[in-house]
Amino acid sequence: MWLVRPIKMDDLQGVLGISGNQGARLSSTLPKQEDALAAKIDCSVRSFAGKLKTGESARFLFVLQNTATGKIHGIAGIDARAGNGQPFYNYRRDALIHASHELGVSRRVEVLYPSHALTDTSLLCAFAIDPELKGTDAFELLSRARLMFIAEHREWFSRRMVVEIQGVQTSQGEVPFWDSLGRHFFDMDFETADQHSGLLSKTFIAELMPPNPIYVTLLSTAAQKALGQPHELTGPTYELLQHEGFSAGCYVDIFDAGPVLEARTDSLRTVVTSHRAVLHGNPGDNGDNCLISAGQGEAFRCTLTPLGETLKNEVKVPVSTWTCLGCSSGDDVRMAPL
Amino acid sequence: MLVIRPLQEADLDALYDMAQNAGKGLTTLPADRELLERKIEHARETFNQRCAPEAGLYLFALEDTELKRCVGISGIQARVGLDEVFYNYRLSVAVNASRELGVHVRTPTLHLSNDMTDTTEICSLLLSDSHRGGGNGLLLSRCRFMYLDSFRKHFSEKVFAEMRGVSDKHGRSPLWDALGSQFFDMEFSEADMLSGLGNKSFIAELMPKYPIYVPMLPDAARAVVGRVHDNTAPALRMLQAEGFNFNGLVDIFDGGPVVEAFVHNIRTVRESINRHVLISRKPMDLNLPASERVMISNVSFRDFRVTTIPAECIGPDTVTLNKEVAEVLLVESGDQVRLAPLKDAGPQAIHTVKEHGHVSRSPWG
Repeated sequence: MWLVRPIKMDDLQGVLGISGNQGARLSSTLPKQEDALAAKIDCSVRSFAGKLKTGESARFLFVLQNTATGKIHGIAGIDARAGNGQPFYNYRRDALIHASHELGVSRRVEVLYPSHALTDTSLLCAFAIDPELKGTDAFELLSRARLMFIAEHREWFSRRMVVEIQGVQTSQGEVPFWDSLGRHFFDMDFETADQHSGLLSKTFIAELMPPNPIYVTLLSTAAQKALGQPHELTGPTYELLQHEGFSAGCYVDIFDAGPVLEARTDSLRTVVTSHRAVLHGNPGDNGDNCLISAGQGEAFRCTLTPLGETLKNEVKVPVSTWTCLGCSSGDDVRMAPL
Repeated sequence: MLVIRPLQEADLDALYDMAQNAGKGLTTLPADRELLERKIEHARETFNQRCAPEAGLYLFALEDTELKRCVGISGIQARVGLDEVFYNYRLSVAVNASRELGVHVRTPTLHLSNDMTDTTEICSLLLSDSHRGGGNGLLLSRCRFMYLDSFRKHFSEKVFAEMRGVSDKHGRSPLWDALGSQFFDMEFSEADMLSGLGNKSFIAELMPKYPIYVPMLPDAARAVVGRVHDNTAPALRMLQAEGFNFNGLVDIFDGGPVVEAFVHNIRTVRESINRHVLISRKPMDLNLPASERVMISNVSFRDFRVTTIPAECIGPDTVTLNKEVAEVLLVESGDQVRLAPLKDAGPQAIHTVKEHGHVSRSPWG
């Protein structure tokens, strides 16, 4: 069975195996270095346990595990407050009208403004999954388990949710937006900057990023084209998030200009359609697959289960699901359709 | 004889011809009869002190007294940026550095500025092809410094000149193509002409207000920021020899540099001397090479005149002129006149004259 649960320190090697498989972009939230990753796991463990130091903000990491083999196949995260106490950088796409009454000219000029407006919203991040599982139910489980967690712990998260989608990168690894803009100021290649952004404090962005707005028309044609465009590999993720109620607004990533998707937390499909129920046994394993989660904080578990009949607030699921969730009959669970 | 005098109504035809031949790139004197007529009128008002000093436009004609025709023009605008806003880009450097990462990046940045507002500009220099050479260009340009010096209170302490930037033979400017055209939707020549016609308010309305990061511009555009057009290189050298320096501002259209100097530091001003006129019947050879001639001007605000005479005419207290030259300069015996080198001279030249009390063969030569 597929299980999503909070990350543990033991998962370190398993997670390194996944992050090694991914492209460059993931590194901004998930480091490839062992000690840096260990620090992230430690932070997540304390977040789930509610043992954060003062000033620290909660950062949750979940893993997707095959219960039969114990192998880790994916990871996903939530930052309760984007920026984690530091500024969260984006460009806001905006327009100015340059008009001359005298000449009868009116022209729309697109401008990118550096912005911290999304700081402290809740951020879905660090998503990585075994490439073979893309587009499967396990993929949906890993992504949406986070939303089940949010539904269960609504007060831990902000009113607005955001997700950064990876932007355009050529098969040679070139990032047109970076080459046209960031490279001039950061004096490093995209991957290095991206790594730094995951590992270092955000101070280096404040120090190196151009403080003034950028006229879009002065970017290279390729960079203009890439503005707000998701990487083609992010298709399934993008679709799933759109289905949840996320949509692209006016914010883009400062490095690769990938879109930032936004949603109202209370309007997310999983938050709206999931409901609490009481667990009961079901001898068979027939019925439609759906999401089921149980437990609070570090005890949180989420998996897929065939759903038998539902009576009022009671659900009947196979006993194997109980084991997987670590629950027994009569316990509270949360259900959501796939 | 060639003499500098205030521009007059009768010069319109000659001026129009010159403006037409000058072609593109001369923004302050477009070939537009009505506009030129207004400019001449403005200049007349200025010399007659019928307009506010800060609104003054001083246009000087170079007249060939034999042809009785204006063969060149140069000007001083008392103050820029008063009735319409005067724009430049300030080329400054922003450093982005991170100690943590050992990164130190310098980014040249263009900031839209109005820094030259309220400053005196020397402008509108135009010389007929027929009269190029022989120091005529120098006379046309430098006569203005003699005027500035004589009537300093009418001008700012600092004066500047905008130098024409790089464009190709079709009038295309690399900076305009990369920057201005992205916001204006018109050809460089058209924008340039509109700006010359005084339609400058459109700049304020259409120009990008935020700083422009130079590294984001294409190579061709970056290369011309602060560079002059090849045809303007001699004019730049001449002004540099006068003590003008690039002040960090460039033209918002073609990136041509702005050069400036304090009036008291301008070489022509520093090296000019006063003498009293002595009229004599001795013949004067006015056809000497430029290096052996000096500029001589009267000190009349309204009927300013400048011409050139042989350097050997200068005495310890006086300058000896024949009757024709005195008439052209509107001076009589005993009147005060000012003298200054025409061609670039060594810095000690003026002291030679003062200390030795007699004239070496070529005091500024």
